[in-house]
Amino acid sequence: MNELKQICKDALTEKKARFIIGYKEDKNKRVKPFIAKTPEDAEKLTFSHHAVNNLAVYLSRFKNNIDGKIGIVVKSCDLKAVTALIQENQIKRDDLFIIGVNCSGVVLDVAKEFNKDNTQIKCKYCQAKTPPYYDALAEESKEFEMPDDDQAELMAKIDKMTAEERLEFWNAEFEKCIKCYACRQVCPMCYCEKCIVEKSEPQWIDSSSTSRGNFSWNIIRAFHQAGRCIGCHECERACPMGIPLTLLTRKMGMVAFSEFGYRHGTSLTEPTLIGTYSTSDKEDFIK
Amino acid sequence: MKIGVFVCHCGENIGRTVNCPEVSKACASFPGVVHSEDYKYMCSDPGQNLIKQAIREKHLDAVVVGSCSPHMHEKTFRKACASAGINSYMVEIANLREHCSWIHEDIAEATKKAIDLMRFAVERVKFNHPLQTIKVPVTKRSLVIGGGISGIQAALDIANAGFEVVLVEKEPSIGGHMSQLSETFPTLDCSQCILTPRMVEVYQHPKIKLLSYSEVENVEGFIGNFKVTIRRKAKSVKEELCTGCGLCAEKCPIKKKALSEFDEGLSNRSAIYVPFPQAVPNVPVIDRSVCTYFKTGKCEMCKKVCGREAIDFTQQDTFVTEDVGSIIVATGYKLYSIEKKPEESIYKGYGEYGYGKYKNVINGLQFERIASASGPTSGEILRPSDKTEPKKIVFIQCVGSRDESKGFSYCSKICCMYTAKHAMLYKHKVHDGEAYVFYMDIRSGGKNYEEFVRRAIEEDHVNYIRGRVSKIYEEDGKLIVKGEDTLAGLPVVIEADLVVLATAMIAQQEAPKLAQTLNISYDKYGYFQEAHPKLRPVETNTGGVFLAGACHSPRDIPESVAMASAAAAKSLVLFGADMLEREPIIAKVDESTCAGCFYCQKVCAYNAIEKKEIRDRQGNLKKVVAFVNSGLCQGCGTCNATCPSKSIELIGFNDDQIFAQINAFAEV
Ligand SMILES: Cc1cc2nc3c(=O)[nH]c(=O)nc-3n(C[C@H](O)[C@H](O)[C@H](O)COP(=O)(O)OP(=O)(O)OC[C@H]3O[C@@H](n4cnc5c(N)ncnc54)[C@H](O)[C@@H]3O)c2cc1C
Ligand code: SF4
Ligand code: SF4
Ligand code: SF4
Ligand code: SF4
Ligand code: SF4
Repeated sequence: MNELKQICKDALTEKKARFIIGYKEDKNKRVKPFIAKTPEDAEKLTFSHHAVNNLAVYLSRFKNNIDGKIGIVVKSCDLKAVTALIQENQIKRDDLFIIGVNCSGVVLDVAKEFNKDNTQIKCKYCQAKTPPYYDALAEESKEFEMPDDDQAELMAKIDKMTAEERLEFWNAEFEKCIKCYACRQVCPMCYCEKCIVEKSEPQWIDSSSTSRGNFSWNIIRAFHQAGRCIGCHECERACPMGIPLTLLTRKMGMVAFSEFGYRHGTSLTEPTLIGTYSTSDKEDFIK
Repeated sequence: MKIGVFVCHCGENIGRTVNCPEVSKACASFPGVVHSEDYKYMCSDPGQNLIKQAIREKHLDAVVVGSCSPHMHEKTFRKACASAGINSYMVEIANLREHCSWIHEDIAEATKKAIDLMRFAVERVKFNHPLQTIKVPVTKRSLVIGGGISGIQAALDIANAGFEVVLVEKEPSIGGHMSQLSETFPTLDCSQCILTPRMVEVYQHPKIKLLSYSEVENVEGFIGNFKVTIRRKAKSVKEELCTGCGLCAEKCPIKKKALSEFDEGLSNRSAIYVPFPQAVPNVPVIDRSVCTYFKTGKCEMCKKVCGREAIDFTQQDTFVTEDVGSIIVATGYKLYSIEKKPEESIYKGYGEYGYGKYKNVINGLQFERIASASGPTSGEILRPSDKTEPKKIVFIQCVGSRDESKGFSYCSKICCMYTAKHAMLYKHKVHDGEAYVFYMDIRSGGKNYEEFVRRAIEEDHVNYIRGRVSKIYEEDGKLIVKGEDTLAGLPVVIEADLVVLATAMIAQQEAPKLAQTLNISYDKYGYFQEAHPKLRPVETNTGGVFLAGACHSPRDIPESVAMASAAAAKSLVLFGADMLEREPIIAKVDESTCAGCFYCQKVCAYNAIEKKEIRDRQGNLKKVVAFVNSGLCQGCGTCNATCPSKSIELIGFNDDQIFAQINAFAEV
């Protein structure tokens, strides 16, 4: 932790970064996003199993407001969002000072201690505890035995359902949605200036809080993440109604990988899946 | 808004299944419709006059025509309306033919659907806006790709009309396959003698810029305004200094290692070479794959002997860009490779004929070289293995063509003719020789073609045997040809000295790649696709790109030349106007909501999306958004479908129009 503080302090002193988006612990011991602007601020920066937030969501706000580099503390899952934002022209690699942290899992319930039963779903299938690239790396890597990927089991179950059963399952889930749009606000990939639900002339998406409106919102949001969701699970964490939103986005990510060998946010050079056409693309979906 | 509705019977085409008077009556009650009528042929002069009259008398603002596909007559009706004073883009077509009458049988149901289609169009037209066509200037210059007879003809026609031409040829010389031919059917005139003057004319023409040993790398832009990047491969010889004296080739120590492409491998050439004596330009190139200097760093013989200091081993490929208004593709063909182990796995080859295994089994182009006065035997018919005169020669037609199992299902079309020619040339030179031709059918359609084949049979006594050959093997220096005479129903065995296979013409291997560069279509064989098989045979689906010669399908010289002149004429039509009118149906970005993800840029097949910086008054960058280049945009709508936040709209197909249509549908 001291190492992280030192790296950030140096970066701010040496003006390697204009400010650093990181985490600090408040007086109630809650770990929260924090922007360190001075070397003194850097003292407050921290990292722990409770550093859940994906800070990359803040990056697109600064995309045209570059005046020195932006520092950001990232776990390996968060780095995928950074990479994806670079791929999608929201920020430039050169405008970033990336401080990677070795992460051995974050909590599901922030009020409780980190343990086997209190682990984020994404951590259960996380491939890399160390971010693949960074400008500086902090934190020691700790071994931690991950519990089973129970979401994958649930997904397999859903896969086996008939179309009607699936529709029923999702209708029941989307029924709960209160259209707070927290899922969108927290998502690093939902950086549109005007979301399609806000487009009213003409109204593309039924914005009423009816089952039809809820369904079309949730489906459109999920579809806009097809081949783009980087799997930070922030949407699901933000949803006040406990809708298992990542069942949809993770599934699409899995299909993108099985059909096209593509994972968004894992390469700065690979062309994005969406928007890239190749003559070798499969066409067997055309029946 | 005052809308006029016109329902066309299309003769019987629509009228048979759709009750047009009833449709017209129903339309009269739609809100906004002030005029509605039906007529037998709306596209005819009297039909168009009905529309014009109604516009004038009822002061219509918009028109909906229920007729055939907009592809067919949208332009017709737009023009008619414009001449009566309303903007062309205030016209909508409801497709009552392809989308309704042609695909339904029940009159009552079809009529109901026709009324629905009309209502959708009426609702849509209420959101149309008057639009102005976009005018873009035309670059009055052509690019011709391929310097065979087709490319030569097209280039000369355009240049002689007074416009500049850039002719790109990938080989060191122009001339193509015609330069390799001995004499040509059906008149037996010497190929070189009629071709060489044209090659020279190209070279000397002040309006033609010849870029030999070059290939097209990239094409941007659109009809009237293409920007073409051309790779000029390193010749290792400074073209401007070389006088074509040929001393370098003469002194080059590599005489045996390289096979002459021009002689189809029947002779050798040096590492520095001109393909043939009449080559245009008469400038050698160094084949770096065999040159001793490039392999070992020693030799430089050519450099030492060249008095003009034209040899340059350090030369690199260079790139030039040319602005042109039209492109003519004339890249020709190649011959089916018939070896047992063909280079491309999709071709099965004819191992049983022993091509590549027996020296005396050759293909048609090799025979052309043997029969040619400029060829490896100076025109004497001598077989490759021992340079003796073959007394018995067998020609086999349809090798690779009309054979789905081992080759291609199409007819290569010229082989019947060139085989008859070969047999004739043989008989003219070897008077006591016997010539046999195995054929499936004789296809000799064309002026004086049938007469030509009859002459081979009747005057030159060539033996035509109907049937296929199953196997060829060598025994005591003879080729044993085993086949079947299907007319007599008997097996045939011929002990031949030389066998000539009439192998199919096939598309150039790189044709699909070039097609992708040019954004044109190609068929499953790799031949370039015309825009319409009957009415637009030299155009492609990309405006301003035309086809000439054997790159389109197997063709002989007269057909290739005719097609080349047609392609030249199409270019000249384009150059007839100073400005091109383009449809105003293009994409438009809502800059206030665009997030600058540039997915639209990725999907645009026409490179029409650019990045635009928006700055405040102090010059600070506010944001970067997508910008549509109206010259490049083809209005395909792909970006429109891609943008997640719906920040791009297609003018003429805007959201309001589509929603009005969908809503009208939902009300049904
Ligand atoms: C054995 C044989 C005998 C024949 N005898 C006769 C005959 O007697 N009478 C007759 O009418 N026809 C005859 N033909 C047919 C004749 O060869 C063709 O009709 C004619 O050559 C077609 O001309 P072309 O210009 O379209 O193609 P080609 O002659 O193939 O010329 C194409 C040119 O384009 C160049 N090129 C290819 N790709 C590119 C590229 N990517 N970039 C730049 N340049 C490129 C090639 O190098 C070549 O110079 C015969 C054909 C064969 C095989
Ligand atoms: S959709 Fe959810 S899991 Fe995917 S990137 Fe957005 S917030 Fe993360
Ligand atoms: S849901 Fe779609 S339109 Fe809305 S912000 Fe996310 S990506 Fe953009
Ligand atoms: S966060 Fe949950 S409740 Fe809110 S809009 Fe998203 S899905 Fe609906
Ligand atoms: S896809 Fe839409 S939001 Fe993205 S750059 Fe293009 S217009 Fe802008
Ligand atoms: S409509 Fe869009 S995708 Fe199509 S050509 Fe125009 S800019 Fe490109």
